[in-house]
Amino acid sequence: MGFLRLDGVSKSYGAVQAVQDLCLEVAQGEFLGVLGPSGCGKTTTLQMIAGFEAPSRGGIWLDGAELTRVPAARRNIGMVFQSYALFPHMTAGENVAFGLEMRRVPRDERGRRVAAALDQARLSGLADRFPRALSGGQQQRVALARALVIEPRLLLLDEPLSNLDAKLRESMQAELRALQRRLGITTVLVTHDQAEAMALCDRIAVMQAGRVVQVAPPWEAYEAPSGAFVADFLGRSNRLAVRVEGGRGWVDGYGFDLPWALPPGEALLAIRPERVRVLPDAADGLRGRVGSRAFLGHSWLYEVETAAGPMGAVVQNTGAPPVAEGAAVALAWDADSLRRLGP
Amino acid sequence: MIRPALLAGPAVLTYALVLALPLGALLLLSLHGYDPTRGALPGWTVENYADLLTDGLFGEALARTFRVSAGVTLICLVVGVPEAWVIHRMRPAWRGVMLLLVLGPLLVSVVVRTFGWMVLLGTGGLVNQALLALGLPGAPYRMLFTEGAIVLGLVHVMLPLMVLAVWASLGRLDPSLPRAAEGLGAGPLTVFRRVVLPQLMPGVLGGTVMVFCLSASAFATPAILGGKRLKVVTTMAYNEFLNTLNWPLGAAIAALLLVAVLGTVALWARLAERPALRRLGAP
Repeated sequence: MGFLRLDGVSKSYGAVQAVQDLCLEVAQGEFLGVLGPSGCGKTTTLQMIAGFEAPSRGGIWLDGAELTRVPAARRNIGMVFQSYALFPHMTAGENVAFGLEMRRVPRDERGRRVAAALDQARLSGLADRFPRALSGGQQQRVALARALVIEPRLLLLDEPLSNLDAKLRESMQAELRALQRRLGITTVLVTHDQAEAMALCDRIAVMQAGRVVQVAPPWEAYEAPSGAFVADFLGRSNRLAVRVEGGRGWVDGYGFDLPWALPPGEALLAIRPERVRVLPDAADGLRGRVGSRAFLGHSWLYEVETAAGPMGAVVQNTGAPPVAEGAAVALAWDADSLRRLGP
Repeated sequence: MIRPALLAGPAVLTYALVLALPLGALLLLSLHGYDPTRGALPGWTVENYADLLTDGLFGEALARTFRVSAGVTLICLVVGVPEAWVIHRMRPAWRGVMLLLVLGPLLVSVVVRTFGWMVLLGTGGLVNQALLALGLPGAPYRMLFTEGAIVLGLVHVMLPLMVLAVWASLGRLDPSLPRAAEGLGAGPLTVFRRVVLPQLMPGVLGGTVMVFCLSASAFATPAILGGKRLKVVTTMAYNEFLNTLNWPLGAAIAALLLVAVLGTVALWARLAERPALRRLGAP
C-alpha cells in the first residue's frame, strides 16, 4: 500500500485526453521521477496531486486519506515550480515565512524556523534580498526552503533544475538528493530530462501520451526497457533488424550469438552505443565506416555507417589515439548486450 | 542615415500643433481683462485669477470636482480591480463575453448613456416607481441633479478603463504565483490581497490616475446629470465661454483646473506610485 496512490486518474480538457487511467504508487520516503517528453501529461499529473487541477475521473490518496476533493490550500504539500514562482514583492525571508504565516505560526517561532530554513539552504545573510537580486541557484534554494519550511507531507518538484546552467545543475542535483535522503520526505519530481531523473530518483515512471508505460528503478528501465519508446527515451539505442538462422543472428554477413533461442526468421533487436565495440577493419564484425566522431571527454562517440543503418558507438577514452573519420572499422558485441524490442 | 531624434519629429510637431499651441493661447487669453461691451481688453492682468481664488462659487465647484472625481476613482478601484481578477480567472470562452460586457458602456454614446440615467433616476423614473411600489417611506427620492447621480454616471463609463488598465498587468502575471500561494495554505482572498494585488499595482496606479483625470475633466455627464445648479469646474468654464461670453475668465478657470489636476497627479506619483513600484523593482 503506497503512501501516495493515484488510482485510475484521468484528466481531459474538452476532447483532449491529457492523462489517461493513471495508476501509480509511491512509498513513504521514496523519490519518484515522472519522466516524459513535453505534452505527455506529466505536469498535469503533478498539478492534480498538488490540487491545482481536479481529475476528471479517478482518485488520489495520501497517507490513507482521500485527497481528490481537498482544496490545494489544505493539502499541506510543498511544491517547487519551474519558474520558482517566488513572490517578487517579498524578500527571500518573507517568501519563506509566507507558508508559516498562513498556518498562524507565532511570530517568534516563525522567525526561528525561517532562519533555520534559510540556514539549511545556505542562504543566511540573504533574507532581506528581493528575488530579483538573487542568482538563479539562490532563487531555486529559496523556492525549496519555502516549500520545506511548512514541513509538508509530500514534496513536488516541477522541472526544478531546468533553468540552471549545466554546472550548477549538477551540484544542485547532488544537493537535492542529499537533502531528500536526510529529511526522508516523499518526493515526486517531474522532468523531461532523463539524465536528471536517473541521477536523482529511486524509481522512475516513464509517461507517453497521457499513460505510464513503465515504472522501475532507473537502471532497470535503462537495461530492460518495456518497449521501443522507453528504449529511445532513456539514453540512446541502436536498432538492428537481424535475420535468425541456426540459432545465431546475422547482419550483413556478421554472425553473432543470441542470448535467447529464437525461431528462424526476422527479428528487431536493440543495443546501447556503450555496448558496441569498435574494432579494426580486419576483425570479425559488422563492417562500417566512421561518418563522424565527437569527443565527450570521458569517451568518444562514433557515428558509424553500416549496411544495417547508422550505428552509434561509445568508446571509453583511454588516451589512445581515436579512430579517424572515414576509417573502415568492424563493430562487434556480446550476446548479453542485446535487447529485444516488442514481442 | 536618419538620426533617431528626427524620427520623433512628426509626433512632436503634431503635439505642438494640437496641444501646446491651443494651451498656450488659452493661458495668454486668461491674462487679459474683460468688459461686457468691449470683450477682451488688450492690457495684461492677473485679475481673473485673483477673482477666482476669492470667489466662493469657484471654490465650491472645485471642491465638488475633486469630491466627485475622488469618489468615482475610489468606486472604480473597489469594483474594477477585483472584477478584472474574477474575469481573468474565468474559462476563456466566458472571459471574452464578460470582457465585452464590461466594455459595453464605452461603445454607447455619452449622450444616450447619460439620458438613460436621467430616465432611470428622475422623480417619476423607473427606480423611484419601483421604490414607491415597494412602499418605502419618503419615496420618491430626489436622485437626479445630485452629486450622487454625477458619480454614478461617471463610474458607469470609467469602470471599463480601470478594468482594462488592470487587465494589462494581469497579462504579465506569472500564473504559478497564485498557485504557489494557494499551495502554501492561502485562501482565495489572501491569495488576491497578498500575492496578486501587489503584482497588479502598475495597472492599478495607472488606472487610478487615468480615471481621476478623466473624471475631473468630464463635461457632458456632470452637465446633464448635475443640472444647472450643481456646477463642476468644467461646466463653469463652459458657462463663461458660451453664456457670459467672458472668455478670459473661462480661460483662467480652465487653467486653474489643469494646474490642480496636474498637482494632484504629481503628488500621487510621489506619495503612492513611486514607493509601490520601487517594491516591484523599478529604479
